[in-house]
Amino acid sequence: MAKTKRLALMALLTAIALTIFVIENQIPAPVPIPGVKLGLANIITLVAMVLLSRREAGAVLLVRILMGAMFAGSPSTLLFSAAGGALAYAVMCLTVGLFPENRLWVVSALAGVAHNAGQLIACMLVVKTPGVLAYAPILAASGVVTGVFTGLAAMYLLRALRKTKL
Amino acid sequence: MLNLLFYHKQGLIDKHGRFNYNTIMKKKTWIWVLILAAVVLAGVIATIRISRRSGTYALITVDGELVERIDLSKVRESRDLVVETAYGRNIVHIEQGAISVTEADCPDQICVLMGKLTTDGGMPIICMPHRLMIEIEDDGLDG
Ligand SMILES: [Zn+2]
Repeated sequence: MAKTKRLALMALLTAIALTIFVIENQIPAPVPIPGVKLGLANIITLVAMVLLSRREAGAVLLVRILMGAMFAGSPSTLLFSAAGGALAYAVMCLTVGLFPENRLWVVSALAGVAHNAGQLIACMLVVKTPGVLAYAPILAASGVVTGVFTGLAAMYLLRALRKTKL
Repeated sequence: MLNLLFYHKQGLIDKHGRFNYNTIMKKKTWIWVLILAAVVLAGVIATIRISRRSGTYALITVDGELVERIDLSKVRESRDLVVETAYGRNIVHIEQGAISVTEADCPDQICVLMGKLTTDGGMPIICMPHRLMIEIEDDGLDG
């Protein structure tokens, strides 16, 4: 892929990720921990990683987190989306090469768990009470469910993008 | 032993009993469906157990510091406790066997929406913007 094309694709993916992120902010979280989100924008991190590279996916993620905090506004948004996004990204980087592409939903499920773990850690840093861990099991479960969902969404998106002969 | 044999047949462990990560990664879809379903199930079961933990003492903390420890079984008359800190203000309603946040000036209002935490169980109430947390102290006697 040509350099300009890659750059354009990165910009496009960032825009989509931001849109998903802002919409997601309107959806209630599975757990009444403020700031904890589903992590739907991870679809784009995943797609960027497969279509482009780990580094470029990291750049898309970074811009999404910074601009997302600007759009969504609340002070805890940056901390939570950064903690969740960074941990999910780390797990994706480690596992994406281990699985064939038709099992991207497994990579995504693992990343989903990591995403929620990151948010729980952020919550513990704020409240400074180990009692927050009571929410760990449900966050692990919801991480798997939303992870599989975002993984399947990423797979469909990849298929559609490839049909356009990008 | 039967289990080990089963894992060996599936190629999940080699003849020395070590896990064979390569095969695990390439294994059929159903193994992953099973593993992930197990995580979800375990998470849900653990959450049900946690929410059933009972105890009589409620702990209110702000920023990790104990604000008040209340024996909810000994509350005769219900009362409101105003927890006002540099982070914000929450009105905590204390009644016989239950505690809740009825009013707060936080932007998300999640602490209010979380409802009552009772001596029979429930999930901890968290007000993230105010760094406030209300939980039932585990009396060690899991139900
Ligand atoms: Zn609140």
